[in-house]
Amino acid sequence: MKLEARALVCDYGPTRAVDSVDIAAAGGSILAVFGPNGAGKTTLLRMLSGERKPDRGDVRLDGGPVSGSDPAWRSRVGLISHRTGLYRKLTVGENLAFFATLHGVADRAAAAARALDGVGAGELAGKPVEQLSRGQRQRVALARSLMHDPDIVFLDEPFTGLDPGGAEALEAMLRACREAGKIVVLVTHDLRRGLELADRVAVLRRGRKVLDGSASEHGAEELLRFFTAGGGAGAEGAAA
Amino acid sequence: MTSLRWVAVVAHKDLRIEFRAGGRVVAMIALAVLACFLFAFALDRSQVSARHVAASLTWLTVLFAATAGAGRAFDTEEEDGAFRHLLLTPIPRHAIFLGKTAANLVLIWMVTLLTFIALTAFLGLRDPGSLTHHGAVFLPGTIGLAATGTFFGLVSRHSSLGDTILPALTFPLLVPVIFFGATASARVFMERPWPEISGSVRLLWAFALGFTAVGCVLFRYVAEE
Repeated sequence: MKLEARALVCDYGPTRAVDSVDIAAAGGSILAVFGPNGAGKTTLLRMLSGERKPDRGDVRLDGGPVSGSDPAWRSRVGLISHRTGLYRKLTVGENLAFFATLHGVADRAAAAARALDGVGAGELAGKPVEQLSRGQRQRVALARSLMHDPDIVFLDEPFTGLDPGGAEALEAMLRACREAGKIVVLVTHDLRRGLELADRVAVLRRGRKVLDGSASEHGAEELLRFFTAGGGAGAEGAAA
Repeated sequence: MTSLRWVAVVAHKDLRIEFRAGGRVVAMIALAVLACFLFAFALDRSQVSARHVAASLTWLTVLFAATAGAGRAFDTEEEDGAFRHLLLTPIPRHAIFLGKTAANLVLIWMVTLLTFIALTAFLGLRDPGSLTHHGAVFLPGTIGLAATGTFFGLVSRHSSLGDTILPALTFPLLVPVIFFGATASARVFMERPWPEISGSVRLLWAFALGFTAVGCVLFRYVAEE
């Protein structure tokens, strides 16, 4: 399984958010995309997940075009973002049951219980989301996003607001996803955690990809150089 | 799973949240009761009987309450970014639109029923005409209101002006619904025979189905980036 994006371009009015980005992620691996604020990371993720149609370029899975309008594609995608995407007035169990129903999960109760246990939040099922801490909500959101066993998992700043236990649970889940052969695309500011998890890294700056390579080839200091204005010597040349 | 089941799941979720949160329901009900209460003071009932103004008062109240409610229909979707996740589920976009419209419709029916009760309580309307005929008029009329309000409720979310633009977007489109609805309701209140009402009801159905169909088609373009 391979997700590939070619020459992706996205404009917000006169501002070019993503500029001719090529990127690829393979099954059984984690791609981490780093970059400073406003680099275009989230926009890139939205185009990869099919939430936003690129103004130019295309996204392909195993050579076939990907479209957010295609229900079959959406059923294969899981999204975890810094906003939990939960309904505050519903209980944790009701939130999970709602999304499980829409994803067509066969045994909703069992799937929800399994997903909650997987993130160490099994005891929260009956609690209204509005009564949970930020870290607890993020764990529930993680359970909700993986409950339907997606093939491709997109994460948009997932460590934001997570307590250490929640972050460990997330890391364990991502490693499990990799072992299960899923494609994982992670967008984050958190260099340390991102590098620990990633098999492949890319750095965006001002909408352009300035680095793309194996995580083992690039240390945190080198990535940090690409974050900052000017980047490293030969930055553009480093982009694969 | 059929689209109808998805519609029911989305509507059920919306209504469950609305009744737990209470804010939107209370705002719509307060508006309806207040409008009837104020009209009761403003009307000189020695000159005008309640049944002569009941149709316009009911439709005016329902229109304002529906618009106020529609503006908040997407609040719960936006507060923690749930709408992004809802759009990533494999259900068709039109099922989301119809589910949210159905939830709005239930709230509008509550307001309509309450307006009728308030009319009898505050204006002393004792003989409102055939309730079956009222139902036949309000059913398509409120479907048109709910579909238009739901669609433009999302459109206004994408506008920098937010909810303030909602009446300006919806009211011009709803003129036919209000016109034929109020005309038909006035005849029901005056206990006119069905053939004098049925023409307006047919037009109300045409608008209701038209607005709903257009909403189903266009919703995805507004919802997706």
